[in-house]
Amino acid sequence: MTTYGEPGSLEDPATHAEPGVGGDLTTTAERIRRAVESVIEGKPEVVRLALTVLLAEGHLLIEDVPGVGKTMLAKALARSVDCSVRRIQFTPDLLPSDITGVSVFDQQRRDFEFKPGAVFAQIVIGDEINRASPKTQSALLESMEERQVTVDGHTYELPSPFMVVATQNPVEMEGTYPLPEAQRDRFMARVSMGYPSPEAELRMLDVHGVVPPLEDLQPVAHAHDIVKLVEAVRRVHVADSVRRYAVDLVTATRHHPDLRLGASPRATLHLVRAARAAAALAGREFALPDDVQALAVSVLAHRLLPTAQAQLGGRTAEQAVLDILRRTPVPDPSAQAAWRQARRL
Amino acid sequence: MTGRTRLAVSAAAATLAASCAMLPLVDKSAWILQAAFLLALQSTVGALARRVPLARPLTVAAQALVTLLLLTVAFAGEQAVAGLLPGPDVFREFGQLLQEGTEDVGRYAIPAPATAGIRLLLVGGVLVVGLTVDAVAVTYRSAAPAGLPLLALYSVAAGLGQGGSGWLWFLAAASGYLLLLLAEGRERLAEWGRVFGGRRTAPPAPGPAPGGASPGPVRTGRRIGALALGIALVVPAVLPAMESGLFEPKGRAEAAGPGGGLTSVKPLVALQDSLNQPANRELLRLRSSAENTRDLYLRIVALDRFDGASWQTTERPLTELPAVLPTPAGLAPGVRTTRIDTTVTASAGYAQNYLPLPYPAEEVRTEGRWRYEPEGRILTGERGQTTRGVRYQVASLQVEPTAAQLASAPAPPEQVLRAYTQVPRSLPPVVAQTARKVTAGSANAYQQAVMLQDWFSVGGGFQYDTQVASGTGADAVARFLEAKRGFCIHFSFSMAAMARTLGIPARVAVGFMPGTPTADGSVSVGSKDAHAWPELYFEGIGWTRFEPTPGRGTTPEYAVAEQAPGAGPGAAPAPAPERSAAAPAAPQDTDACPPAQKKLGECRPAPGQAGGGQSSGGPSAAAVTGIAVAALAALGLPLLPMLWRRRVRARRLGGPDLHPDAAADAMAAERTLAAWRELTDSAWDYGILPDDSRTPRAAAARIVTAGALEGEAAASAGRVAAAVEQVLYAPRPRPAPGLAGDVECVRAGLHAAAGRGARLRAVLLPRSAARLLWGFARRRSAAARRIRTGRLGASWRRAGRALRAARPRA
Repeated sequence: MTTYGEPGSLEDPATHAEPGVGGDLTTTAERIRRAVESVIEGKPEVVRLALTVLLAEGHLLIEDVPGVGKTMLAKALARSVDCSVRRIQFTPDLLPSDITGVSVFDQQRRDFEFKPGAVFAQIVIGDEINRASPKTQSALLESMEERQVTVDGHTYELPSPFMVVATQNPVEMEGTYPLPEAQRDRFMARVSMGYPSPEAELRMLDVHGVVPPLEDLQPVAHAHDIVKLVEAVRRVHVADSVRRYAVDLVTATRHHPDLRLGASPRATLHLVRAARAAAALAGREFALPDDVQALAVSVLAHRLLPTAQAQLGGRTAEQAVLDILRRTPVPDPSAQAAWRQARRL
Repeated sequence: MTGRTRLAVSAAAATLAASCAMLPLVDKSAWILQAAFLLALQSTVGALARRVPLARPLTVAAQALVTLLLLTVAFAGEQAVAGLLPGPDVFREFGQLLQEGTEDVGRYAIPAPATAGIRLLLVGGVLVVGLTVDAVAVTYRSAAPAGLPLLALYSVAAGLGQGGSGWLWFLAAASGYLLLLLAEGRERLAEWGRVFGGRRTAPPAPGPAPGGASPGPVRTGRRIGALALGIALVVPAVLPAMESGLFEPKGRAEAAGPGGGLTSVKPLVALQDSLNQPANRELLRLRSSAENTRDLYLRIVALDRFDGASWQTTERPLTELPAVLPTPAGLAPGVRTTRIDTTVTASAGYAQNYLPLPYPAEEVRTEGRWRYEPEGRILTGERGQTTRGVRYQVASLQVEPTAAQLASAPAPPEQVLRAYTQVPRSLPPVVAQTARKVTAGSANAYQQAVMLQDWFSVGGGFQYDTQVASGTGADAVARFLEAKRGFCIHFSFSMAAMARTLGIPARVAVGFMPGTPTADGSVSVGSKDAHAWPELYFEGIGWTRFEPTPGRGTTPEYAVAEQAPGAGPGAAPAPAPERSAAAPAAPQDTDACPPAQKKLGECRPAPGQAGGGQSSGGPSAAAVTGIAVAALAALGLPLLPMLWRRRVRARRLGGPDLHPDAAADAMAAERTLAAWRELTDSAWDYGILPDDSRTPRAAAARIVTAGALEGEAAASAGRVAAAVEQVLYAPRPRPAPGLAGDVECVRAGLHAAAGRGARLRAVLLPRSAARLLWGFARRRSAAARRIRTGRLGASWRRAGRALRAARPRA
């Protein structure tokens, strides 16, 4: 029995490199991946997911215990792309205006001048995002979804590409505010770093013990390379049956007995977009149900609320998604035809 | 006891209770023990099969099989293979037993002796009904319709039985059914968890409920059931209009009511009445010393005067009943006679002022005031004397003349001729013409009589029908000859009238034809045995009985037309060509079946005409062919999955290979998907279950790992999966050539990696043949849906709603 979302399941045979998408995209993506992996040891799947989210124009939530390299991943990703990077350390006394910016009265010009906040960058690293108050967390909402900031009635466009990479600690409940559902829903994917393997940890000691690794990291791609990559990802074909499959999975979360809150339509959108990016990263010009399956846990699980019973029983949202993946049949051609018919009616 | 077990036990008990109603039909009751034992085994098999659990049809099949085995062991153990397995011999034995049983049922009056055939009918019937009830009520969990087979069982018993203690059996059968319904209700309620009785109507002092009290709904159900039973028993007894219903009280049944028997002094009127009565009621019971009671007709009265309006008895002076009756008129010493003694008991419900006697009686010993009429040899009750409850002994002669004696009979005496050949002037001439036409070519009076009899009973195309008005006048005879429908009165009157026109002295006897033998050797004569027949006079023999009514009574030996020439030295031959020429209305019979046999429906095709079948008792060629075909089918059935699988594979992988440059049309996609299906099904055959939730790539990967594929086989699996991905998900699919070869390569790889048992299984019993069953199931449910939504379904639903509305809400 293979598990879904297992590492390497997105690995494609070399023969599948598509001429239309391949080329630049794969090489650029590969360069970024290598650069990040030189910092984050032994976590290729996490790096790959981070890259997928970047190409799918999403935001990434990294959740794990302190010290496993959440911030390191975010910074490495930011550093390997030559673009503006801001880091916000979320604390309980952080104010919304610290994030969005504030209008200051300029004595000389006798006018209000807008001082952009930390969110005005191409990659924003929100460290320990759940330590800020919900009010401050919500300041990110507009910027994440609409890629703009509105302060005092003025709307300011954010630069492109724009990605928020946030980290949070799940176990350290003291002094943390859980992210509101609306906020969680805006992250395309959540990833857990997990502890590294002993070998990787040993290698890390060898390398990191001498030089801080980020110091050596040079940008390997420019921001406009990323914009081009995103354009290419948008052209990836998603067959009806694959869309149907994504819809089926998301619908199933709304009826699963262990879940109090299912995934939103935005989750469907994110799932298909992420599948596109994954297909492009694999060098394919069309998405497969395999892409959807591989991403389902990361894209869906953090938006779901398990029921109290499920929590008592120790069943998590991830397990519910895996269960749904096991139960939902991959649409076969006949089902596809039936769906088309149903849509026509 | 679990609910299911209780239900199974209730079903068996209900069947047994209903079959108790058959107890009075047979003189010994041991069969019910056998039936109960076999029924218990059958139910146990059902319970075990449900415990396993087997699929429902399999459960029923297992029970049916066990039932067959049980019946084989019980009834045809000697013919069985290894004493247990039913072979062709067993089925032949069953067939024979069933035939014997059916014949016995027809032959014996109730209670019948428990012959092997009857026992097989009873036990087999109970088991079949038991199987049906168990299947419907327990296996398919719907107890209410199980009442139908129970009702059928009870109806058979009630229909054959005779009143009496029927209410007891009804009570048993109905209680059994109610028990079954209650058990089902309990089980259904129990599915919802513990059942609370609800608030009591009169809340008693608080305290624990009595232990083991039934839940409220069950209690209510029991009350309703008991009430319904009570009403069913009491209401018919109270309502006067229903006294002829199922539960006729004994006292009433035996009272001489208007329909209670041949009470009329006009036997003819009563005759049709009793023939048309729905129930056969025993009137007389006799025990005879005769070896064969087939000829034991009981005569009440002789009608010797035909006045144009009716056949009547001439009023003649009566004498005291002599100790020994005089020799019958016209009987010469040369004729073989056998003296037989008969003891007759008339039932208390039979009041008739003529004493039914065999003809010719020699001595009659009886109580009561009976007087004798010498001409007709009739005993008449005097001053209200009737047969009610009378018991009497008769010594009579069984006259057995030969055909030769009859044929060579001299002319009757003048006064007999004068008295018994009179026909009224009003008799239509067609009667005499028909008589001459039918008997054309005959040499003597005897031949004429036989021809007339055979014309009525066989050749003339007459039909027996008791619903025809019993007109007796001269015109009625002509009408009957034209309509050719009637019953014994018409046949006997017409034959007697026609015989008279031919100059043969004739009269009509009214009485009873031979009754039904019973288990204890006595003969039961019932109201349905009432009969009329012509008596023709032959000098030297006397009054001789003939039997023109088709399907009733028995044709006497001497009146059976002789086919073989030289049956007697003096017998005038009656050549067949003349006969058929003489009776143009008769169908051209080419077979050698004598009319008498034909009349009784005993004619069978001659051995030479049976399509070359064996003339000995063995199975016919058709049967052998049938058995052979069935055996071949039975052998071929296990091969069906393999053959189906081969055909499917050939269809999926056949056809020309795709060209790499071929346009990605629908056919290419279809071919690719077919190859993919073949790949997954092949893997399934080798034990790798298909999984709907896997993508093509994941499924192929699983086949590679689970099937331990290596090298080229693994690559082939990957290629097929990639081709499927192209077809299913790519915007412009690229056709992949050589997929059939890839699939074969994967199959070869799976075959190589599998063990011997798995290989054999994959070929002989491919798992993917389950799709065949799924296909059937899908088609069946689709058909069911069509029926449900169609017009037929609508009317069915309407009927169901009407039924539900009519059913009282319990």
